[in-house]
Amino acid sequence: MKLDVKDIKYSIESKLIVNGVSLGIEEGSFVGLVGPNGCGKSTLLKNIYKVYKPDSGAVFIDGEELAKMNSRETAKRMSVMQQENNVEFDMTVYDMVMIGRFAHQHMFKTDKIAEREIVISAIKEVGLEGYEDRSFLSLSGGEKQRTLVARALVQKASLIILDEPTNHLDIGYQYQIMNILKKQNLTVFSSIHDLNIASCYCDRVVFMKSGQIVGAGTPQEMFVPEKIKHLFGVDTKITQNPVTKKPNIIFIPSV
Amino acid sequence: MAKLKVRLFPIQKRFPFIMFCMIMVVVTFISFILAIRLGSVDLNFETIGKVIVNKITGRNYYRVDWTEGIESIIWSIRIPRIFTAFVVGAGLTLCGILMQALTKNPLADPYILGISQGASAGAVLVIMYGVLSIFNGYSTMVGAFIGAVVSIILALKIATIRNKVTATQLVLAGIAVSALFSAITNYMIYHTRTGSDKVKTATYWLMGSLSGSSWEKLIYGCIAFIVCLIPILTLSKSLDVLMLGDDVAVTVGVNTDRLKLGIIIVATLLTGVIVSMSGTIGFVGLIIPHITRSVVGTKHSRLIPASVLVGGTFLVIADIISRTIAAPEELPIGVVSAFFGAPFFLYLIRKSHKQLGG
Repeated sequence: MKLDVKDIKYSIESKLIVNGVSLGIEEGSFVGLVGPNGCGKSTLLKNIYKVYKPDSGAVFIDGEELAKMNSRETAKRMSVMQQENNVEFDMTVYDMVMIGRFAHQHMFKTDKIAEREIVISAIKEVGLEGYEDRSFLSLSGGEKQRTLVARALVQKASLIILDEPTNHLDIGYQYQIMNILKKQNLTVFSSIHDLNIASCYCDRVVFMKSGQIVGAGTPQEMFVPEKIKHLFGVDTKITQNPVTKKPNIIFIPSV
Repeated sequence: MAKLKVRLFPIQKRFPFIMFCMIMVVVTFISFILAIRLGSVDLNFETIGKVIVNKITGRNYYRVDWTEGIESIIWSIRIPRIFTAFVVGAGLTLCGILMQALTKNPLADPYILGISQGASAGAVLVIMYGVLSIFNGYSTMVGAFIGAVVSIILALKIATIRNKVTATQLVLAGIAVSALFSAITNYMIYHTRTGSDKVKTATYWLMGSLSGSSWEKLIYGCIAFIVCLIPILTLSKSLDVLMLGDDVAVTVGVNTDRLKLGIIIVATLLTGVIVSMSGTIGFVGLIIPHITRSVVGTKHSRLIPASVLVGGTFLVIADIISRTIAAPEELPIGVVSAFFGAPFFLYLIRKSHKQLGG
């Protein structure tokens, strides 16, 4: 198991937000976390990537307990991409991506040329070549998000966690970012809102509701009308995407 | 026009950055010379040069053709005072940078947050009531440090809602904390002092003054400043990351708990030492980092050295103004810095609202 989550509980102001979640993610797989707003997806992910400290339970990465790892070691094993946050202080795209190299750099023994190459090639990877000296705050939403993908990639961690990675992005950018991630040789665990994107890219999907895991399986197993109805309260019809052969979810409004 | 400005500033390349620092060093030097010359007694450059050479070489290299009074004005009053101004300005700037990294908010500064006023209250408590006398000569500094710690905890507790410091909360918390500690300081002074002395003492602690500078205090100040500056410079990369938010900092490998504790310790220690040297001088930590950031960018490895130079020089110049504008009376230096700082503060508030709205 690449990532092993064991019975995580977490509460905010004595309200239980994550209620005993356990799950395992295999090496090299692309796993989507799906659930309605407020079901605790983001809180669960924050417990995994150490922004929150779970009330009970533990997270293991390659069999080692995360809580016992120091900050740099954690960052070398696991990178995180969050929604674009409000930054008050501007910097260039190059500097923003270089931030991802923090855990690998030490004061007097950093190979500056090698570091530069890693950053430049990640910027190229996400299609932002020529943007190195642009100021981050001047970028469009999609460009900012791709910069943050590049920042996560240069961490050279084998596991990447995505916390609502494509929120507020139009459909073109959503697919673009997922394509970039799918191409990498990484284990990916991502919360995803759009069910068709989840169906298209994920090897497995995990359903979460009211702070608990209510099911997990391949997109074919999980994206069936009863399960989606139970999770979101919406009627659907499932067809097969003629190109990807993945389930295609069609929503049926109850008018 | 706007586009051209974006291209020139902030400076990207190394060479223009070094040029900027060199220019600042020259400006600093010129401001020092002017500051020695100007004041209630105007001196000529020749005498100043001769006195300094004689003092540094320790013998009468030049024949003494000036009075002892002149010598004492130059060597015992003005020179320590100018260096003190520089260290105080540089230190307040460094504190501002640290508070801004801690809160991710460009409005943060030890004066706005009420930390300087807290330190003042601590120092006054020690002086007026003689508590902490076990620390002898250091008791004022220790008192100021304790006052700074109490007020920073108070200010941050009020300003933080769900782990975030918003501009509004920050300013409101600062108003409350500084009002509280200014009131305490005033009470203690009026309770123990009588006559015109009490007004003078209160002005000293609440509006700042460099008139009590001496070589001895200067050396303490320099040591404290250097002791604080060096570890912060080694942490400049961590500070860069912290500016992006605690979540980001954690995920790229910064130990945020330890870093923030370190920042708070250094910022309060330095504020304590500075306030015990000069009273409360406002706005320096707010204006200088902001202006310098627009020239050299947000990277702390550049921002810190550059703004320390700018901040030090700013206060040397502010001190010249305070000594000459109402001569032979001396204006409290806090009044001069507020004249520059308050309009700037308004501008920053306005700007931060626009950002939130957009």
